[in-house]
Amino acid sequence: MLTGDAQKFYGLLFGIGFSTLLITQQMTIFVNLVERGASGVYNAPEAEVWVMDPVSRTTDVSYAMPGTALDKVRAIPGVEWAVPHLRAVANVRTKDGDLEGVTVIGVDDATLIGLPKRMAVGDKSVFFAPDTVVIDDVGVDRLFSNGASPLGERLELNDQRAIIRGIADAIPSFTSQVTLYTRYSSALNFVPGTRNRLSFVLVGVAKGETPEAVAARIEQETGLKAETRAELAQAGVNFIIENTGIPINFGITVFLGFVVGVAIVGLTFSLFLRDNIKQFGALKAIGVTNSKIMQMVGVQAGLVGLVGYGIGVVGTIAFIRGFGSNPFFKGFYIPWQIPLISLAAVVIILALTGFIAIRSVLRTEPAAVFR
Amino acid sequence: MLRNLSFARQILPALAVIGLAIAAWLILAGLPDRSTAEPAEQPPKAVGDLAGKARVAGAGIVEPASEIIDIGSALSGLVTDVRVRPGDRVAKGDVLFTVDARAAQASLAQSNAAIAEARASIAEASAAQATARQQLALYRGLADPAAVSRSEVIRAEGEEAAATTRLGLARARLASAQAAAAAARTEIERLVVRAPIAGEILAVNIRSGEFVSTQGGGNSTPFIQMGETNPLHVRIDIDENEVSRLAIGAPAIVSPRGAAELHVKATFVRAEPQVVPKRSLTNSAAERVDVRVLQLIYALPPSEAFRVGQQIDAFIPAKAGAPAKTEG
Repeated sequence: MLTGDAQKFYGLLFGIGFSTLLITQQMTIFVNLVERGASGVYNAPEAEVWVMDPVSRTTDVSYAMPGTALDKVRAIPGVEWAVPHLRAVANVRTKDGDLEGVTVIGVDDATLIGLPKRMAVGDKSVFFAPDTVVIDDVGVDRLFSNGASPLGERLELNDQRAIIRGIADAIPSFTSQVTLYTRYSSALNFVPGTRNRLSFVLVGVAKGETPEAVAARIEQETGLKAETRAELAQAGVNFIIENTGIPINFGITVFLGFVVGVAIVGLTFSLFLRDNIKQFGALKAIGVTNSKIMQMVGVQAGLVGLVGYGIGVVGTIAFIRGFGSNPFFKGFYIPWQIPLISLAAVVIILALTGFIAIRSVLRTEPAAVFR
Repeated sequence: MLRNLSFARQILPALAVIGLAIAAWLILAGLPDRSTAEPAEQPPKAVGDLAGKARVAGAGIVEPASEIIDIGSALSGLVTDVRVRPGDRVAKGDVLFTVDARAAQASLAQSNAAIAEARASIAEASAAQATARQQLALYRGLADPAAVSRSEVIRAEGEEAAATTRLGLARARLASAQAAAAAARTEIERLVVRAPIAGEILAVNIRSGEFVSTQGGGNSTPFIQMGETNPLHVRIDIDENEVSRLAIGAPAIVSPRGAAELHVKATFVRAEPQVVPKRSLTNSAAERVDVRVLQLIYALPPSEAFRVGQQIDAFIPAKAGAPAKTEG
């Protein structure tokens, strides 16, 4: 019945598909964008607990501790290992003389704990060469936009020579700032001197201990702040949500998607039912009950919903995959919860509009056939 | 059957279902890997008895048992010969290097000449004295006082006295020249720098022909560094806040930097009486002085893994029942 009128059928598909696409895609971008606030945590896959000064908030908003904090943490039972981790901002002067703000990350000298899991170009052993820095792939786009290979390029950091010897495969930070990874001892030279330098202590947890218990023990015994990986990642996300307008902007778009869906689908649906009111009357005349009619409408709405939802979800995936090579979208993924949320939205849209539209049908008398 | 196949009714829903299935698969496959990873290389960790127990951690530096001796030079001058190379073992008193001794040799020769001259003067004065005495004895032995004039006797007595005085003077000159020669020999000896203890040469920073001054120390590099490297000691810095928890005297577990899988048991030697600003391990020219540390000295067992100046990580047991620190 519904497919008989191609215009209205495809109109409905478009309405459902469009609002699914809008809701799914915008929520995906929103989730991925705020998760960028936790990228620092995810880029250090070995650390189970992060120890920091009590006033530090996220990986990028931190206050340095004295160097002996490392020894204090190592002394706590349940701590399998602890290594220093330095995160600081510095200015780098490129070959062309441009100034660029960079994040310098100093990883443990001996074990290189704190590096991203993979290197895009090069091997982790390059870190043992003198004056080595490894740039992240976003930084390559920012500093070397002309497509030249950054390997072997010289940078000037705090009047020191630094040579790029590799590219790390890292999740970009929220601000897409250029990140340079280097060893802790080199980082001390690359970052302008302050008294305390140690930003974080990364901790591995002994077998048979949970990160939560060890973090609580570290906090109690050292007076420092210790957060598990999940807690610090959440703190980074919360920091972005609290300090930017992103949730409101994306919330508005998602709401608009919902409203557009309701409007298009509702209008088309009720038009369709009104057009076919005679047929419904005839059905009633031959003794079809209201519940049967509701089932019929429900099946048709379900068909439209299924196809429209499919279009929307496939469209979102095509979008995310299509832009996957763009550095802005690097590492974007669709959390499995989001398609379920948009599915719920589709069901609500159809149920709402279907219920409003069907009321007139239910009130129709069989005599409507003759009108 | 096929005639009834409707694009909108059958194909589209089927496509939608297939699309959704592929989408679900892509979404699940595309979920990011947020799992934690084991470190590729082992970081330093407390092992054995200390793994689950209260402990204190510290970082330190390997040093010789005698600590590092910066060899100085008593006199300044050009280096003429360096007799040792880094890594050599020397006994106490072995020559390390010699400084140009030509000036001292010259003054020794001068003194020797003066000795010879003084000896000649002594001989001359002795001869004159003997002659004068013989003359005087001759005059005094005459029975007839009128045989020689009184003035002649006085002259002879004067000659004898003058010769005696000259002899005394020449003897004094000899003693002075001998003292000068001894001083020159001491000088020559001081220009030879010797090992103050038996030990190993750790660094040689001078070469023949270079100038060494006595104003060493400060920031200038020491000429030669040596120390007793058997056994090696480690100097472990412990944060002053942790000192009260420390079980002083307990053996420590020590790992060299970069070889954390190696766990060496070091025996306690002593604790430095003074708590000092932390200086080691900053890797930075600008030292941090806000943290004070107690330095503990531990002896390492014989091992190939440690070298003087190397950084180490150490774990030391804490006192049983020591209260946890709640200070930040």
